[in-house]
Amino acid sequence: METKAVANRIGEVPVVVFADFVCPWSYIVQDNIDRLAKEYGLKPQWKPHWLHPEVPPEGGPVHGSNNERRAAMHEWMKELSPERAARMRPPDRLQFSFLAFEALTYAEQNEKAMPFKSGVFEALWVEGKDIAKVETLLEAANNAGLDSEDLGRCLHEGTYRQRTLDYVQAAQRAGITKTPTMILGRTMIPGYHYYEVMQTALEKQGVLPNHIEDSK
Amino acid sequence: MHKASHYGTLATYLADPSVTAWRRGETEGVTFESQILLSGEDGGPEAIRFRFDPTLSVYAHMHLTAQFQLLLSGSMSFSRDALNLKPIGVHYTDHNTPYGPFSVAEEHEVLVLHPRQGGLMTMGNRTARREINLTGRVLHGMGDDADWTAVEGFDGVRYKVLIPHAAGPEVVMIECAAGIELPVEGAPYGRYEVVSSGSVVVEGSTLETPGLRYVVGEQRPSRLCAGPEGATVIFLSFDGNALEGGLTDSGIALDAAEAMARAI
Repeated sequence: METKAVANRIGEVPVVVFADFVCPWSYIVQDNIDRLAKEYGLKPQWKPHWLHPEVPPEGGPVHGSNNERRAAMHEWMKELSPERAARMRPPDRLQFSFLAFEALTYAEQNEKAMPFKSGVFEALWVEGKDIAKVETLLEAANNAGLDSEDLGRCLHEGTYRQRTLDYVQAAQRAGITKTPTMILGRTMIPGYHYYEVMQTALEKQGVLPNHIEDSK
Repeated sequence: MHKASHYGTLATYLADPSVTAWRRGETEGVTFESQILLSGEDGGPEAIRFRFDPTLSVYAHMHLTAQFQLLLSGSMSFSRDALNLKPIGVHYTDHNTPYGPFSVAEEHEVLVLHPRQGGLMTMGNRTARREINLTGRVLHGMGDDADWTAVEGFDGVRYKVLIPHAAGPEVVMIECAAGIELPVEGAPYGRYEVVSSGSVVVEGSTLETPGLRYVVGEQRPSRLCAGPEGATVIFLSFDGNALEGGLTDSGIALDAAEAMARAI
């Protein structure tokens, strides 16, 4: 019964997160999404919302920010996600994210998207690595249990390039303008939001957390 | 001076800051002084003038009614929205719509304007997060970003649109030469009229910066007459969201009312 309830929910309530690895809000929203998946028995899909297609593979300068604003933003992130904020090392250059999106598509194909995206976020925001470099992605793939050699070949040959571009265009067509944007069933939540907001959005659609569903 | 009048379907409130006492306040470590221009205790509008001490972070929070913030001096920087609000600047939120955190620079002064008592709810309150209005609008506009437009047929009158009517709530700044009488429309959902420079004579009273009138009702209120140095008046009109939310005697409303009372 419990399995059926969960399976029904997975089928009926798609959870899609449009995000970019280079977005700090996408980095910290992971906690909320991972918790949602666990507590409500959902399978979130991470799809690309390419924030900076103008940035070349070698990266580009960070625009429109200053130290004071960065400090204020970091203060708030500390409130929202103290553990992640404490470990964050914001990069001094904007990074090219499309190659990482291609690798994410590969990971999704191989049912390892969740651990892989976590690894890429960690590489960029904690370890200070460049996610435009193939070796960074291969290491994240390896840690996620993927065949890094196969991924390397796919990236070289562009096997998932078109499909990834299709995802990027689908996000544009869907009117996604904020990163991250969460689609929880019939509800779209643009921009980072609190966990409780996502809970309310799901529960209004009749999706209950596992502990309540199980006690029925 | 706080004066409330009711004319048929029209209610008006006048507030004169020059005769209103300042008081020190504090909330979650953020310090400020404030003047309660309109208390909202009669179920009517709530208007508070704040001067925050400079701070890097005023915590994220929401109010349970729609709100205009009218920045008169200093600056407020909303880092997440990449918005650095400068005077004359206006920031609008629907009821139960969180904003902030924001930083406040020197010489800060803002009017916080609600159609009814709005309470104060920190977003640190997890129960309150459940009540967030996900479709809530956040709008802003600044005087420096808008051009003056002359009003045809009215010499000595020009205006700027800070938030256009199409957005729902509307904010327009009107500058009048001395002695001009400004006819105004009714305001079904409520409208603040704030003097941002010069003075106006209205309902037998003279209001100087930042004196204000609040009007609500279909009926036309009396005209505003620009004083001897002329006047700039900012008209901040609510839309239907002004009827939503508010303080009740249950749920987070009690906490919100208590938090606001504690703060000011």
